[in-house]
Amino acid sequence: MTAAGRPGIGWWLLILPALLLLLAFYIAPIVQVLAISVTEPEPGLGNYERIFTSESVQRVILTTLRICLITTVLALLLGYAIAYAVTLATPRARGWWILAVLVPLWISVLVRAFAWVTLLRRQGLVNNTLINAGAITEPLPLVWNEFGIIVGMVHYMVPFAVLPMMASMREIDPRLLAAARGLGASRGEVFRRVFFPLSMPGVIAAAVLVFIFSLGFYITPAILGGGKTLMVAEWISLQILDLIRWGLGTMMATMLVLTIIATLAVFSRLVDLRRIFGSGA
Amino acid sequence: MSAAGHALAIRGLTKRYGDFTAVDDVSLEVGQGEFLTLLGPSGSGKTTILMAVAGFVAPSAGSILLDGRDITPLPPEKRNFGMVFQGYALFPHMSVADNVAFPLRVRGLGRADRDAKVRAALDLVQLGQFAGRLPRQLSGGQQQRVALARALVFDPSLLLLDEPLSALDKKLRAELQEELKALHRRVGRTFINVTHDQDEALSLSDRIAILNHGKLIQSGAPGELYERPRTRFVADFLGKSNFIEGSVASSDAGGFVLAAGPERIAVRGQGAPEGTRRLLSLRPEKIVLLGEGAGADNVVEGRLLAWSYLGADFALRVATPGLGEIRAVLPAWQAAFAPAEGLPIRLGWSADAAVPVEDDAP
Amino acid sequence: MDGIHPPGPAARGLAWATALYLLLPILIIVPVALTDQRYLSLPQDGISFQHFRTVLASPEWLGSIWQSFTIAVAATILSVVAGTLCAIGCWRISRRATELVRVLMLLPLIIPSIVYAIGLYRYFGPLGLLDRFAGVVIAHGVTGIPYVVITVSTALAAFDPRLEQAARGMGASLSQTLRWVILPRIAPGIFSGAIFAFIHSWDELVMVLFIASRDVFTLPRRIWDGINENLDPAMAAVAVLLVLFTTLLLMVDRALRRRSEG
Repeated sequence: MTAAGRPGIGWWLLILPALLLLLAFYIAPIVQVLAISVTEPEPGLGNYERIFTSESVQRVILTTLRICLITTVLALLLGYAIAYAVTLATPRARGWWILAVLVPLWISVLVRAFAWVTLLRRQGLVNNTLINAGAITEPLPLVWNEFGIIVGMVHYMVPFAVLPMMASMREIDPRLLAAARGLGASRGEVFRRVFFPLSMPGVIAAAVLVFIFSLGFYITPAILGGGKTLMVAEWISLQILDLIRWGLGTMMATMLVLTIIATLAVFSRLVDLRRIFGSGA
Repeated sequence: MSAAGHALAIRGLTKRYGDFTAVDDVSLEVGQGEFLTLLGPSGSGKTTILMAVAGFVAPSAGSILLDGRDITPLPPEKRNFGMVFQGYALFPHMSVADNVAFPLRVRGLGRADRDAKVRAALDLVQLGQFAGRLPRQLSGGQQQRVALARALVFDPSLLLLDEPLSALDKKLRAELQEELKALHRRVGRTFINVTHDQDEALSLSDRIAILNHGKLIQSGAPGELYERPRTRFVADFLGKSNFIEGSVASSDAGGFVLAAGPERIAVRGQGAPEGTRRLLSLRPEKIVLLGEGAGADNVVEGRLLAWSYLGADFALRVATPGLGEIRAVLPAWQAAFAPAEGLPIRLGWSADAAVPVEDDAP
Repeated sequence: MDGIHPPGPAARGLAWATALYLLLPILIIVPVALTDQRYLSLPQDGISFQHFRTVLASPEWLGSIWQSFTIAVAATILSVVAGTLCAIGCWRISRRATELVRVLMLLPLIIPSIVYAIGLYRYFGPLGLLDRFAGVVIAHGVTGIPYVVITVSTALAAFDPRLEQAARGMGASLSQTLRWVILPRIAPGIFSGAIFAFIHSWDELVMVLFIASRDVFTLPRRIWDGINENLDPAMAAVAVLLVLFTTLLLMVDRALRRRSEG
C-alpha cells in the first residue's frame, strides 16, 4: 500500500520519448515491410503458397530448423556444464567462470566468425596442424558447410544458454544438496533427483532463448556457410538485395517473426520470460 | 522552530481498491499541537489514512482539510507536511547533513540559511556531531532521529509518522518513545502517528483513534479509551479484558445488576432495560484476591487453573462455575500463597470495575 | 554454493572443455595477428607488429574506426536518455500498460535484425536517411534501448520506492526528485546500460549492410568486406584491437559495479 501513490502525468511523459522512437523508427518500418508480403508482386497470399509449392523455400526452412535444433541441443549441453560448475564453484572461482562466459558474449560476432575461419579453412590452423602431424593427407572440409555453421553458432549461443540456467541454479538452496547427500544419495542421484529437476526452469528458458536467437541468425551462418548452406536470414537478404524479390523475402521475414512470437507465447506459460531477458545484462 | 500547530480535519474519508474497502467513511479531527495516534491491527486502514493525509493515496471519497482549507487535491510536494517513513527512507547516497538539507534545497534556500537550519535541526535531535556520516554508518536509533530532523527542518504544518519505532528493538523503543514525546512538547507541532503497538500508542498520544477493518471504532484520550472502551474490540485490543455476558436482572438510577449464569454482577453507572443482553469488560488488574471473610461488591469463587509469575505481576487463570474462566493480574508482592492447581480462590471486584461494551466480535 | 557440494569429475571436465572452446578460438587470433608472414598463419621465425602498423597507418581503417566510434557515441546517448526515462516512468507508474511498454521495449532483442534491416532499407529511402550518419544513429539508438531499459530496471528494482515518496513529501518536484534522488542511485545501472548500448552499436553489422553503403562505412562493415574478399593478417590485428577494446569496456563496467556494491 505504501508503494502505491498517484503517479502524475509527468511520469507518463518520461515514457514518451522511448515509446515514440520505438513506434516511429522500429514498429513502423517492420510493420510496413512485413505488409509487403501480401501486396507484392500482387495482392494476396501468393507468396505464402510458395511454402507449400517451392522446393527451395522448403529446403531453406528445413535447413534452418535442423541447424537451430542441433545448435540448441549442443549449446544447452555445454552451457549446462558451465552453469553447473559456476553454481557449485567457490565464490573466487565463480568470478573467473563468469568472466569466461561474459567476455565471449560481448566479443564481436564478426571477430569470432573470423577466428573460426582462420582455424577451420582448408589451409587453416587445424588442417595444417593435422597434415603436419601426418594424421591426414587431405584437408578436412571443416568450414563453408553445415558443420562450420554449427561450430560457430554453438560458440555464439553457449553464453546465452549459460545465463538463464545460472540464474535458476543460483536459486537452488545448497542445503538441499547437502541434505540429500546426508540422506544417503550418491553424487549422481543428488544430481538426477534433486539438482536437475530444480534447474529445469532455467533449462527451458535457455532453450527458448537460444532457439529464437538462432532462427534469425545472419552473420555467422553467412560467413561460415560460405554461401552454400543457406539459412533464412541470409536467404531473405539474398531475395531482397540480389534478386529484388521483396514479396518472397518479406514473406519469409513474416514467417520468421511469427515463429519466434509463437515460440515465446507457448513457453511464456512455462517460464517467466522476464527471467530470459532480464538476465541478459 | 516556531511553535505553530495546525488543525487537521478528515471528513468521510473512504478508499477503495477494487472491491476491497481499505478505509470506510472515517472522520477525525486533530487539534492544534495535538499528538494523535492511529492504532489498529495490520489491514485496519491506518497507514492508508496517513498516506491519504500525506497525499500519496488519492481518496475514493471524502476530504482532508488543513485549518479549514480543503487540501484533498494537492499533490504531496505541495502539502508541506513532514513525514517519517517506516524504515526511515533516508537517502543512502547523501550524508546526514545532506539528507536533512534536502527539503530546504528543494525550496531553493541559500546555503547559509540551509546550513544554519540543518545545524539547529540536528542539534534538536542531538546528532550534531554526525552531520558528515552516511546513513548506513548510523545505528537504527540514530537513523530514526535523522529522519525526524529531516521531517521537522522545513517547519512543516504537520508531522506524520508511519510506524516510526517498529524497526527498533524493545529497549531502544522505550527510550525513543520518551524522546519523541519530549520532542513533541518542545516543537509544539501537530503530530499524527501510526502504530500497531498499543503500549506505544498509550504512552505517546494525547489522543488515540482505534481502527479496525477500515472503520474508526473509537477515539479519545488514552485513559478514556482504556477505562471506558466502547466496544469489545477496543477493550480487547487496548490491554487485556475478561468478557462477561448476561441479561439485565434489575436496574435503577445508580446502575444495574447483570445475571450471568448463577452469578449476579453489580455494575455502577447508567441503568439498562430489564431483560436486555449486556456484555461487560472487566480488566484483569481490577480484580483482587479476597481472603477468608473479606468482602467486595462482587465476589466469585473458583479454582486455580494456571498461573504465571511475571516479576512485577502475578497472572492467574481461575475456573469459576458461573462465569467460566477469569483472568486476574495482581502485584506479585500481594500474592502471598503457594499456587497449586485446583486451589480454591475467591475473586472480588468493585461495581465500578466492569464496564458495559458493545459486542462487535465477528 | 560455496563449494559445499563440489561438481564431479565428468561435470568438471565438460565445463573446462567448454570454457576452452569458448576462449581458445578468440585467443588464437593474437598469435595470428603477430605473425611475421604475409598470410594468415602462426608466427614462423618470430613475432612482428607489422600488421598492426598496416592497420593503424591505413586511412580506411582509421576512418572506419572513427566513424564507428562517433556513431556509437551518438547512438548510446539516444538509447541512454530514452531508455532511462522510460524505465523510470514504467517503474514508478507500474500498471498493466507500463508492463506492456516494457515488453515492447524488448522487441529489438527478440526480433531478428535482418527483419528490422529490410524494414529500414525500405523506410529510410523516402526519408533520405539511407547511407547517412543520422540514419545509422537512429537505427542503433533505437535497438540499443532494451539494454538500457534492462539494466536501469534492474537497478530500480533495488531502489526503495519510499525514497521517492520521501522526496516528494518534502516538497521536491519531479525533476528535483529525478536529479537528486533517483538518478544518483541508479547511476551504475545507467552506466552499464550505456556500455552495452555502445558495444551493441560498435559491433552492429546487419543493419549497416542494408542502410549504409559508401559514405557511412563502419568498422564491422570493413571487417565483413575483409573476411569476404581478402583474408590477411591485418584482419587478425583489427580483431585483436576489437577484443582488447571490448574487454576494456567490460572491465570498466565490472569495476564500477564492484564499487557501487561495495
